[in-house]
Amino acid sequence: MNAEYVRLLTVVFALVLLAASCGDSSDDNEGASGSDADVESSDGESGDPEEGDPEDGDPSDGETEAGETETGDTADEGPSEFVDLGTFLGDPPQHLDPALNSTVGAYQVINAVYDGLTEIDASDPANPTIVPLVAESYEPNADATVWTFTIREDAAFSNGEAITASTFKRSWERAAALQGFYSFLLTFLEGGDAALDSGGEISGVVADDDARTLEVTLSAPNSEFDAVAGFQLFFPMPEEALEAGAEYENGVMIGNGPYAMESARTDEEITLVRSDSWVGDFNGETWDDRVDRIVFRTQSDPETGYLAFEAGEGDSANIPPGRTADAQANWGTTLDVGILGSYFFAINDRSDVIGGADNLLLRQAVSAAIDRDEINEAVFSGSRATATGITPPGIPGQTLGLCEFCAFDPDQAQALFDEWVADGGSLEDPLPLQFASDSGEEPVIQIVIDNLADIGIEAEAQPFPPETYFDELASGGCVICLAGWFADYPTYDNFMFNLFHGAALDGTNLGFINDDFDALVDEALSTPDSDAAAALFQDAERIVLNEQTMTVPINWYRGDYVYNDDEIATFPQTSLGLILWEQVAFK
Amino acid sequence: MASYVIRRLLLIVPTVFFAISFLFLLFFVLPGDPANLLAGGGDRIPNPIRVEQVNDKYGLDDPIATQFVNYWKRTLTWDLGESFATGRSVNEILGDRAKNSLRLGVWAIIAEVLIGIGIGVYSAIRRGSWVDKLSTVGTAVLSAVPIFVLGYAFQYWFAVYPNTHDWPQWARLRTSQIGPPGSGDGSWFLFFIPTGEQWRYVVLPALTMAAVSTALVARLTRSSMLGVLDADYMRTARSKGLDERRIVLRHGVRNAMLPVITLIGLDLGAVIGAAVLIETVFSWPGLGSTIANAVEDRDLPVVLGLTLVVVLVYSIVNLAIDISYAWFDPRVRLAKRDDT
Repeated sequence: MNAEYVRLLTVVFALVLLAASCGDSSDDNEGASGSDADVESSDGESGDPEEGDPEDGDPSDGETEAGETETGDTADEGPSEFVDLGTFLGDPPQHLDPALNSTVGAYQVINAVYDGLTEIDASDPANPTIVPLVAESYEPNADATVWTFTIREDAAFSNGEAITASTFKRSWERAAALQGFYSFLLTFLEGGDAALDSGGEISGVVADDDARTLEVTLSAPNSEFDAVAGFQLFFPMPEEALEAGAEYENGVMIGNGPYAMESARTDEEITLVRSDSWVGDFNGETWDDRVDRIVFRTQSDPETGYLAFEAGEGDSANIPPGRTADAQANWGTTLDVGILGSYFFAINDRSDVIGGADNLLLRQAVSAAIDRDEINEAVFSGSRATATGITPPGIPGQTLGLCEFCAFDPDQAQALFDEWVADGGSLEDPLPLQFASDSGEEPVIQIVIDNLADIGIEAEAQPFPPETYFDELASGGCVICLAGWFADYPTYDNFMFNLFHGAALDGTNLGFINDDFDALVDEALSTPDSDAAAALFQDAERIVLNEQTMTVPINWYRGDYVYNDDEIATFPQTSLGLILWEQVAFK
Repeated sequence: MASYVIRRLLLIVPTVFFAISFLFLLFFVLPGDPANLLAGGGDRIPNPIRVEQVNDKYGLDDPIATQFVNYWKRTLTWDLGESFATGRSVNEILGDRAKNSLRLGVWAIIAEVLIGIGIGVYSAIRRGSWVDKLSTVGTAVLSAVPIFVLGYAFQYWFAVYPNTHDWPQWARLRTSQIGPPGSGDGSWFLFFIPTGEQWRYVVLPALTMAAVSTALVARLTRSSMLGVLDADYMRTARSKGLDERRIVLRHGVRNAMLPVITLIGLDLGAVIGAAVLIETVFSWPGLGSTIANAVEDRDLPVVLGLTLVVVLVYSIVNLAIDISYAWFDPRVRLAKRDDT
């Protein structure tokens, strides 16, 4: 190769690079990001009217073709904005189908695209209530075994397909056939078990499209089924989803929520555009100023997502462990929102080390010895709420202060431990505090070890690989194990039944066995009167906290989002951890 | 030469077979049941119905030997299976991800070659100058810093800091993803040249990936050049009155390149290894980050399918490097050397 030829190649290559870098920038929607300087005007308009417009097949400008979505006309409205988010942690979401998804990350998208029968009205955060959404009304029978929902007459998907009572029936049967993670909820319905086993109809669900009623007969009384019915598994799905089955989530999914998918998801991003066919929230409010586009982008981990947020690549992100103080100091956060979730130690009643009646005083001593405020300050920068029970505030019927051994009281702990020793109790080996490694729990465990050492209890950290931790616990391996639980829907039973009822043993119940407790929860579930049911749930919770002390609550979760408050005026997160995208607004 | 190439190509077959088989068997030693992970999403208690369904669908209850034979039967027809996690075809995932890794790798190698050789040659010619001293210290530092730490540092210095200090938009590099939202394959020119704003996404991961290798290439080039600058043929060239620049580039660099080429060849393996870290740190959707995620998810088809391609590429590139020796040094006669 002679020198002239090399020089010529070099010049050509340089020219190509120059042409490329100066070339087509129309693909670049980045300038429309709220965090970039391009969003200049105070009325939320982008400086460049071309940027941020969906370029390909703007679905709003005419007839809706197959696979497209009828949405707001972002192109004709001129300037548009989008919220560019690093929402997903780790992998791209495995599932986007409401019948298959099990993660909060993907639920953020699903909740923007779909509306369910009911919704939570959290305008009074201390007393959230369940209200009709796609249902215009609903009522249970006297013993809460049959629920009748009346469907709104104007309910429709964004492609114009009407949403009827039959839509829900076939959507639930589809969910049974797909057998996603939450499909077990269908066992709440009469005939749900059979549908899960062999497919076909769910006998307990009767749809009358003329009367617009959906009559749901339950397999057991459940006074809180209205909350369950608003969960993603029970969302309505269009006809085309039936044909597509599990593949539906790989195309453009049609929904009935405030946003619609602009295009099929990729591993890198999911883009939603506003849907002007949306009929509004439970108040009829359509939030007309909502942002035009929302882009969810995959980030490899929380830290990377937060860095990208700091670098102006998105307008919001999850707050990674250890960045809480930084987020509070420099950005807007949702840390003031109480999330319906608990962080606690579960105890296995079958453990020789700490389970059983003989070790009750030891368990109570452990609970009273833990300095929860120190954990909250040292590990979580004071961002969480110190727990006084296992069920968090915001759950209807919950009351504060049920736990008699959750306040840091070294004297009480010492007295309880001494009494246990005097009764013949002894620890042959250090108490194993189990947790998932590499998940930021180590400082919590260390504080607990130190607290216990102060009263003479020797404890040690017992880390498990995060991939196998819950498998290990579910197979009876828990002794005293650190766990977290987020409510799927805001009901007392979502904590009491799922975490402690015998029917959930070695599933989500990691080892609590108590017939009295089970009987109270069963009775509460079949009690239509909410106050009476709450009293029963509280009695049940007292058993697990005090009489048996089979759980050691640590704290209650708070909101976990950071957002660019220079650009964003409102960024509401619900107590279930979901962002109300239709209410997000730029300044 | 031809027989050498054919024999080397044939050697790739057992190499790939043993590498992938080892990985397949290793997978069953790792803790974590893929069926449980799939059924539970990784952080929840798995649903037993779903566990059974997953086991049935993917034959995970079959004996390992049966699964092993079935895997190779499929693989021989280039059916790499489907992802346990998403149900997507591994061939499809491979198509998407391989090109992104290639784009990153190409820019990393370009940076490594241009910057590394450039600094090395200049340091050798200007031995003892401040540039030489600076490059010696700089390359030592770069070699010592873990690559992911360097990645985070670059992200902070060149993306976060400029953004929080209101630098102009063009000076704010990007920390994650392969391009702006909505950018697809169409935003690359000639497959690997970023257009428009896309270059801001490529610079940091490419430089991070190239950093350590660039330092090594620079040091090796420098020492190799120092070895040839005083060689007899260089003195002869000078005595003929040839231009010094021409002597250095035509005679010096070419003769000093053999060990450097070896390093760059070996470095392709390092680039593939580094891709796991770099692509993760920068959320770059390439083979490395996908393999890392798949290992966490115990997504065997994805791990094996993508690794198979990596092993193939590595073997072929190594062969190409060996062949290139002959071009750089006509004294090397591959077939003969191999025969003796």
